[in-house]
Amino acid sequence: MRDRHLGFVAAAATLLAAAPLSTIFERWTWLIQCTVAVALIAGAATLARSLRAPVWAQLLGMMATLMLVLTLMFSSGEELLAIIPMPGTFAHFGQLMNFAVEDMRSYGVPVPDRVGLQFLTVLGVGSVAILVDLLTVGVRRPALAGLPMLAIYSVPVAVYTDSVHPLPFVVGAVGFLWLLVADNVDRVRRFGRRFTGDGRDVDVWEPSPLAAAGRRLAVVGVALAVLLPLAVPGMTTGLLANFGAGGSGPGGNGRGNGGRVDLFANLSGELQQGKERDMLKVTTNDRTPQYIRFGVADELTDQGFRNGQRKSSSRLRDGLPAFQEPGVAGVSTDRYRARIEVTEDFDMGLLPIYPTPVGIENFKGTWFYDKNQQVVYSSGSSARNQEYTVEYMRTSYSATALRQAEPLPADSAEVKFYTAMPQNERVQELVDGLVKDKSRPYDRVRAIYDFFSVKNNFSYSLQTESGTGGNAIVDFLTNRRGFCQQYAAAMAWMVRAAGIPARVAFGFSSGNNRRDGDAFTLTNKNLHAWTEVYFGETFGWVPFDATPAQSVAGSIRSDYAPDVDAAPTPEPSATASGGPAPDVTGGAAAPQEEGNDSADLGAGFDAGTPTAPRWPLYTIGAVILLIALLAIPAMRRGMLRRQRQSAGGGVSAAAVGADSGGEGLRIVVTDVAAAGQAREDAHAAWAELLDTMVDYRVPTDMTETPRATADRLIRDDLVEGASAEAARLLGRAEERARYARDPLQPERLGDGLRTVRKALASRADRRTRLAARLLPPSVLLRWRQAIVESSIRTVLTSGRMRDGLMRWSPRRLLTRPSR
Amino acid sequence: MTQPSWDQLGGPLSGAEFRAASDAIVANIEQVIEGKTATVRLALAVLLAEGHLLIEDVPGVGKTKLAKALARSIDCSVRRIQFTPDLLPSDVTGVSVYNQETHDFEFKPGAVFANLVVGDEINRASPKTQSALLESMEERQVTVDGTTYELQTPFMVIATQNPIEMEGTYPLPEAQRDRFTARIAMGYPDPGAELAMLDVHGTSDPIVALKPVSDASTVRRLIATVREIHVADAVKQYAVNLVTATREAPDLRLGASPRSTLQLLRTARAVAALEGRDYVLPDDLQTLAVPVMAHRIIPTADAQLARRTTDAIIADIVHRLPLPHERQQRSPYDTRPPSTGDGRAQYDQRRG
Repeated sequence: MRDRHLGFVAAAATLLAAAPLSTIFERWTWLIQCTVAVALIAGAATLARSLRAPVWAQLLGMMATLMLVLTLMFSSGEELLAIIPMPGTFAHFGQLMNFAVEDMRSYGVPVPDRVGLQFLTVLGVGSVAILVDLLTVGVRRPALAGLPMLAIYSVPVAVYTDSVHPLPFVVGAVGFLWLLVADNVDRVRRFGRRFTGDGRDVDVWEPSPLAAAGRRLAVVGVALAVLLPLAVPGMTTGLLANFGAGGSGPGGNGRGNGGRVDLFANLSGELQQGKERDMLKVTTNDRTPQYIRFGVADELTDQGFRNGQRKSSSRLRDGLPAFQEPGVAGVSTDRYRARIEVTEDFDMGLLPIYPTPVGIENFKGTWFYDKNQQVVYSSGSSARNQEYTVEYMRTSYSATALRQAEPLPADSAEVKFYTAMPQNERVQELVDGLVKDKSRPYDRVRAIYDFFSVKNNFSYSLQTESGTGGNAIVDFLTNRRGFCQQYAAAMAWMVRAAGIPARVAFGFSSGNNRRDGDAFTLTNKNLHAWTEVYFGETFGWVPFDATPAQSVAGSIRSDYAPDVDAAPTPEPSATASGGPAPDVTGGAAAPQEEGNDSADLGAGFDAGTPTAPRWPLYTIGAVILLIALLAIPAMRRGMLRRQRQSAGGGVSAAAVGADSGGEGLRIVVTDVAAAGQAREDAHAAWAELLDTMVDYRVPTDMTETPRATADRLIRDDLVEGASAEAARLLGRAEERARYARDPLQPERLGDGLRTVRKALASRADRRTRLAARLLPPSVLLRWRQAIVESSIRTVLTSGRMRDGLMRWSPRRLLTRPSR
Repeated sequence: MTQPSWDQLGGPLSGAEFRAASDAIVANIEQVIEGKTATVRLALAVLLAEGHLLIEDVPGVGKTKLAKALARSIDCSVRRIQFTPDLLPSDVTGVSVYNQETHDFEFKPGAVFANLVVGDEINRASPKTQSALLESMEERQVTVDGTTYELQTPFMVIATQNPIEMEGTYPLPEAQRDRFTARIAMGYPDPGAELAMLDVHGTSDPIVALKPVSDASTVRRLIATVREIHVADAVKQYAVNLVTATREAPDLRLGASPRSTLQLLRTARAVAALEGRDYVLPDDLQTLAVPVMAHRIIPTADAQLARRTTDAIIADIVHRLPLPHERQQRSPYDTRPPSTGDGRAQYDQRRG
């Protein structure tokens, strides 16, 4: 009965512990599936237990149930009677796992309902449920059940590079606590019930004495949890730091937009991958091709840019909208044709195309064209292994033409949508400073564009945080190290801050490798992001690539957006005709470019600061600290001894006429100061002798007089001969110092002490000697006693305080009527 | 409290003189009592502490002999009272007799009017007679018919009693026992001493030949010397602690009285002087705790049932009581929590 109860608690706790997964998924389908799986597993476990099956049988039953659940939920169609898994089922499972791995790589959080990820989730949560049930009910170690639960915790933590909202974790922790409480309540009940009724003198609300140890542990745990992050550097970020920042949780949860791939995550993932893989094979009659585009991020939230709603889509089969010539001087269009071959490594619902397409042919599947974003997308089909031709109009702009562009009216739809952004004072200040005396949109954009130069210490590095949220942008603008996505996002952000519509485009740079006539190959290393700025209906979206040109293979610069880092060659900008000749700094300059390319690759992997391993330093430091800590008692002991011996040193001057043997009854009036000094010396010597005895594990007795102690040392043969004399002398000196009118004036108490110590040491065994030297028991004892005393004082004080507070406790009012 | 003043006692002796005088007395007594140096010295110490001595032991171990030897060694007035059931108080204190010549009542001093009073078998007299000693022992005076008569200095009662034979005896009342400074047991002599005794006592009683080696005035000066002995505050504190401990001890129904504290310290002075020291040690108190306090306390019924003698209880207390230190009240190795008990309340409760 009780086990059954505990089993249900274990199942519920597992589901609660899975709460953090909600930050990963867009919808709650996974929760339904997990609940079904966990409930069935718990049911199977209960059934097994009610049949008095042994633990291993319970385990087998639960695993079988999980297998059945998975088979039923993720059926491959090959099962026997729809529920008995067959080899084909397992193959299907393997496939699902592969899907999950791919989805993990290509989707950003939160992810939509992908079958692979769901399979993985149900499998994981189900396994955790089995483990938790086993540990809680089978082995009765619910504390250990926290470990598999922790595994679920770690998933969102690993996925989100920046912080995650703490609430789901709280829910998970509550689940774990519930489990622990249920188990311990059960355990306490086995002791029997407490009598709390009338006249038992036990407050109903008073916690059981059994809980005292738990309270103590809890206090220690909380203290550790609070203090440890303070002690360890670099751990203060996180929960505590986030309170101030207002918790940047998964605020903007997706609105079910049919699989929005986080292009940024994809981009940084691909760029940082070690292996270079071919993605596109392009054949075009354009001699100087521009960037191939496939995606756009135009919605700016606190988390950064993401691809927003698609507003104007049409089926690709219905043809593309007609291209309108801009009809402005300085803007020219040319018609080209390209054949694009996608390898199986580029697996997205987006087709890479050249802007602006006027015809796409030979594609497979159902695709849509978003005129606004100029993106071809699909929710069901994938670009992998596609082969298609694109007919496109290439537009070239000249700086003079763009400068003529008028500022857009502030209430136009484009301005409203494409300048929406979260407030960020740092960025706003920076932009205001850059554009303050510029009025034309182009000048303003150029001012921002020029800002990303080596002069301003901007440099290229793949080894940076890949976020594009507000904090990440500020970080980037502060560190000035980043790669294309940060340059693109930062520039788009800043252009928006200047009141001009901007967005981030994704695609491939034109690359420089394996050119073969008109054909060339683009790899995952050529993936790129840049900024597009809207200059009104006439000009449309104009690309600006703020990433340092030297660092991007096949970077293209035009005269409206020249390479800001290039040496100011007296370029005949008087080509002024505004010729449409885009200046390709990439592919053409071959040898130099090669070097840059390798530098780029290097930047991804072994550039970054050369981090020498720090742990040996820490280890050595920790060891030194440990040794220092261990040496403290011995040092304290040595200090005490020196103090006492120096006290014994200054006596000789005060020669007083007291008889040393204590013979007779003589009243000798001595110098008071000298007598006091002699007393102090005797006390010091005696204290030292007692400490020495404690150190060498000779019992000391507080009921013993000095004389008796000295006699005992002699009687027990611990001292003999000279040392016996010395011990007796020490005893007599202390005795007279304490009780006589005039103290003994000893000649050499220090020598006597040394003699006695040697004698005691020679009687002690090696271990005792070592302990006396390294960890003197006398010092440890004194410290322990001090701790005990202070704790007693604390307990007494707190008890008094509690008694005082009891007077005001509202519980008295509660219990009184029952009496 | 005690009547004699400084000039009546005479000046204190120097260390050497003290030693010579005390050693002479001890040596003299030891001619009669062999192998009992400690007991003899303790008896002498009680004399020098101006106290009274109760010798308690089985018959035939030399209780009376010790008393007589002490009395004979000092050239002073010695009276002996054989306590019998029909002894009357007036036999002890004295009586007023009508003198027909003077037509007046004339006081006939009783046995207590002497320097040394040897009371043999004190528990054989009725409590009425025993009580006659109360005033004289504590106040060193006798009041008969409204007239108070001073006793001489030194004044010492040496009583013997037999703890085994209970027939026809009256146990000493508590007030009476409390007036005895120390109770000592003779104990059997060791075989060698007993053998020597056979030789010496075989033919004649040596006590007859015992010559006094000291006189009353010397004893007074010895007493004056003892009064000079230094007692440190720590020792006084220890004495108080000891007495308080007996009042708090769970085994005891009645602890030691304040009078016992006083007598403990006085005897300790005497012992220290006899040992040639001019200061008292806690060791002295430890040695004297049993003889001075054991006969005053009353164990609880439980302790009696457990056959714990008062001697054992006192010895136990001595072994458990920490020494007060001059500078720090608690020993650094004392790991017990500080006691906050107040002995007086428990003492009062226990009496009820």
